[in-house]
This record gives sequence, structure tokens and C-alpha cells, in this order.
Amino acid sequence: MLNLLKIEYEKIITYSTFWVIFGLFFFFTPLVFYGLGQIKLDSFPIDFTTIYHFPDIWNNITYVASWFNLLIGMLLVILVCNEFSFKTFRQHVIDGQSKSDFILSKILLSSSFSFLTTFYLFLIVGFLGFVSGNDGSFLTDIKYLLIYFVQSLGYMSLGLIIAVTIRSSALAIIIFTFSIFFESILSYFVPDAIAPFLPLEIISNLTPVPTPKGIQVPVLAEAIPLNTSLMIAVIYILAFWGISFLILNYKDVK
Amino acid sequence: MNEILSVNNVSKRYGNVNALNSISLQINKGEIYGILGPNGSGKTTTLGIILGVLNPDRGSYSWNGNTPTKYDRKKIGSLLETPNFYPYLSARQNLSIACKVKEVSEGDVDRVLSKLDLLNRADSKFKTFSLGMKQRLAIASALLGNPETLVLDEPTNGLDPQGIAEIRNVILDLANEGKTIIMASHILDEVEKICSHVAILKLGNLLTYGPIESVLNNQEQVVVASENLVLLERTLSQIDGVSRIQKNGDKLSLILASGKDSTYLNKALFEKGIVASEISIRKTDLESNFLELIK
Repeated sequence: MLNLLKIEYEKIITYSTFWVIFGLFFFFTPLVFYGLGQIKLDSFPIDFTTIYHFPDIWNNITYVASWFNLLIGMLLVILVCNEFSFKTFRQHVIDGQSKSDFILSKILLSSSFSFLTTFYLFLIVGFLGFVSGNDGSFLTDIKYLLIYFVQSLGYMSLGLIIAVTIRSSALAIIIFTFSIFFESILSYFVPDAIAPFLPLEIISNLTPVPTPKGIQVPVLAEAIPLNTSLMIAVIYILAFWGISFLILNYKDVK
Repeated sequence: MNEILSVNNVSKRYGNVNALNSISLQINKGEIYGILGPNGSGKTTTLGIILGVLNPDRGSYSWNGNTPTKYDRKKIGSLLETPNFYPYLSARQNLSIACKVKEVSEGDVDRVLSKLDLLNRADSKFKTFSLGMKQRLAIASALLGNPETLVLDEPTNGLDPQGIAEIRNVILDLANEGKTIIMASHILDEVEKICSHVAILKLGNLLTYGPIESVLNNQEQVVVASENLVLLERTLSQIDGVSRIQKNGDKLSLILASGKDSTYLNKALFEKGIVASEISIRKTDLESNFLELIK
């Protein structure tokens, strides 16, 4: 397994797209998060700097970073589609990899990406949280990091299934980007009881919109509890990985 | 056991096209086996199946007598159709990945690069390579780990005449080392120069196979001339053991069944009242035999 992951990193370590996308993530996530804390509205009596405070910071940072998760998902789509357009998937099979090795490689790569981004958020929180004065417990709500990790895997598992089905980078990226849009259209056509359980709905709701302090927000009674969402998301991820393997296994290696 | 590859009644369809029609082959250790056929005859499909990238619709194959696994493929050096590498990586980086996939030592990279004369471009990106260099890199990759069996699909594709000669020498060297080589080609000359055995495919059917001399050169062509060519042709067609009569300018050419010689033919003609002005025997060239076979 370690050998498979090593091969994956050898493929991307000099690939510029990999560095550009991770660079964007590493640069913009803290910048946007820091910027949000600097907002001052005269008509709106909120102290935005409280977004840095424990324990809310965990929810806040993961919400902001979740937007950039789509970028990492897109990177995975590109990397997987490359294997088809360069025909290197075919070459790997010829050279002695199995189709399940291929899927396993991409699962390991996705997991390592999720681990990297999650760890990076941990560093940002560590820095901003303590600089702004720690008045809460560091560990309270740190579960949001785990949730973020699962969300990030979720987007990449969706990317994987789209990439192995479509195989062409351009089309796969478009479908991946618009899949949220497609799903929200679809949600109008399915019963209301099912709509909140659609995969992207579940995955994107893992990082809920934070409720700013001092504002009364009506609590939505029908919202799915976070722990349930988390469990359903994990099931979706496993299903996406499994279906990706079945698709790959069924088709000839082109 | 000497058997390296055994293909048993393998069939493959693409939609309505019968790409392979119940092909059976057996390839033994040390053979240089050429798979010969025109474009679209099923050569690449055959190799794709034995290399695990295509699923046969029916039939089976085995490497070294066992059900094939990915571990068999790691020990086979293969080139299938086009050279497949990461364009943004250097030759060396690409081969290093191939080594890890095949689980062979990366110490072998420089050896194969120098064997294919690519050492001076080892650190150039693959996308900067010419077609011939890409092809040489693909052959270099097939040689990683010094495999006992090689599967090469059109190995001289895209090479200039000098490159073709070099690759042939590389293949002949490997053959002299006792390796088993399975090679697809549509170039008869190439197969003739390199291979010990040949199988001929046409439109997915296996026409014939065996040692190269017996497949491509087993018959002698007889050229006959006489005053009245029409009468000669009619008479010849009545003689036992004569086949494939063809007009060749002002002469006729034909194939005699084995055991019959020119004396027999001359006598038979004479008995029917025809005096031949010429009866000569010509060894047929491979090309006409091949073209005859795939007709």
C-alpha cells in the first residue's frame, strides 16, 4: 500500500497543476478566513473577530475551507482523468497493476490530500485561535476537523466516480463543478423526505453555515443531526469508491 | 514445462465486429513468435487480451500453465500500441515509476536507457521526445527487470531506417539470450528477419501458424510456358496435383503438390500432347506466399 502511495506522489511531485491548486488552497483559506474577521459594519452590531474564538473557530474555519475543498476535488478529477488521457492507467495494468490497485491508489491519494488540508486547518486554528486570545477550550468542537476530513474525502470520492466514468478531463471537471447545481434541480423532483439525504446535500451540510454570536437564528427543526450526516456521508463515500471500482472493472482498459 | 503462453479458443467482439474468432495459440520457451497480419486483423486485440487490458468474451489464456494474475504481467516486458508515459516527467522519472509498478530494482533504469541509446536524454521531459525516441523509451521500459518474456506490439513503429535496424538488433540480442518474444507486426520483412515462428491472422481468424519456414516457404512455384497459353492453362487444370494457376505475362505460374516435381509435370503435359517451351522452378518469395495466404 505504501508502494502505491509512493508511486502516486512520484507522479505529481513535479506536476505544476498539483502545486497551483494546493498553493491556491494554502494561500486563500487563511487569507479569506482572516479577512472575514476584519469586517466592520456600522449598522450591524457584530464583532467579527469573535470568529477566531474557541470553540466556534472550528466550525468557522471548516466552513470557509469547505469552499476550497471543491478545488481539491477538482484536482483529483484532473489527476484521475490524466491517467486515461496519457493512457498510463493502461500501461500500469500492462506492467502488472490490477484495477483494484488503481482505485486503491486513488483512495490513498485522496486520503492523503484530506489529511494534508485538515492538518493545515489545524495549524491555522492553532495560530489564529491562540493569537486572538484563547477564552474557550481548545479541544471543544475539534470534531469539526474530523467532519471536514470526511467532507473533503466526500468531494474527492464524487470526483473519482465522475472521472472514471467520463474519462475526459474537460467534461469531467464541468460535470463535477455543476454537480451541486444538478443535484439541487434534482431535489425539486424527489419527495421532500428524501431531498436532504441526497449525497451532495449531505456532504456539503457537514460544514454548516456558522451562526454568528448575537443573532437570533430560527433553528430548523427538520435539520439532520451532524452525527447522522457524518455516518451517511461515510456510507456515500464507500459506495462511490465501490461503484468506481465496478465501473472500471466492467469496462475494457482503453 | 516449456510452454510459456497458451491461448485457448479466445473470441472478442466490438459491437458488430468480430475482432477475434476462437483463436488458439501455444508459445514455447525461447521462441520468437511473430503475429503477422494486415491492419485490423486482431493482432493488438490478441496482445491486449494476454496482457489483461481486454476481457475476452469467450475462451481463456494462461501464462506458464497457470491462471493469469497481475504478478505474471510484472515479469513480462510489454509494449502495447503506443508508448504511454507522463508527458511532464523525464524519461528517468517515468521509468522509475514503471520500476515501482513492476516491483523491480530502480538500478536497472540506466542500463535500459543506455541499451536504447537514451542516456543523454534521460532527464529531458517525455513530451520533448521525438516519435522514435518515445518508441525507444517504451522498449526500454519493457526491458526493465530483464524479463524472460517480452510482448512487443509493432516495436519498430515510428522509427527511421537506422532506428529500425537498431531495434532489430536489440530484439535479436534478446533472442540470443534465450528469451521468449511475442511480437506483432504487419511488416513481413521484419517478421522474416527476426522470428522463428509465425501465426497469421486475418479479420480475427487464425489462418495458419508454425515455424516460419513451413508457414511461409513450404511451396515451390513452377513457371510454365508454351505456344498456346489458353490450351496450356486448360490442360494444366486437368493435371492432378496442380493448383493456383496464374497468368504471369506470357507464362503461367502454378504450385505443385508436394511429392510432384517438374519431371512429373513435363510428362503429364507431354501425354496430353503439349510441348512446354519452358518449365522452371522458382522459390517463392515470402511476400507472395503471405499475400496468397491472406487473400
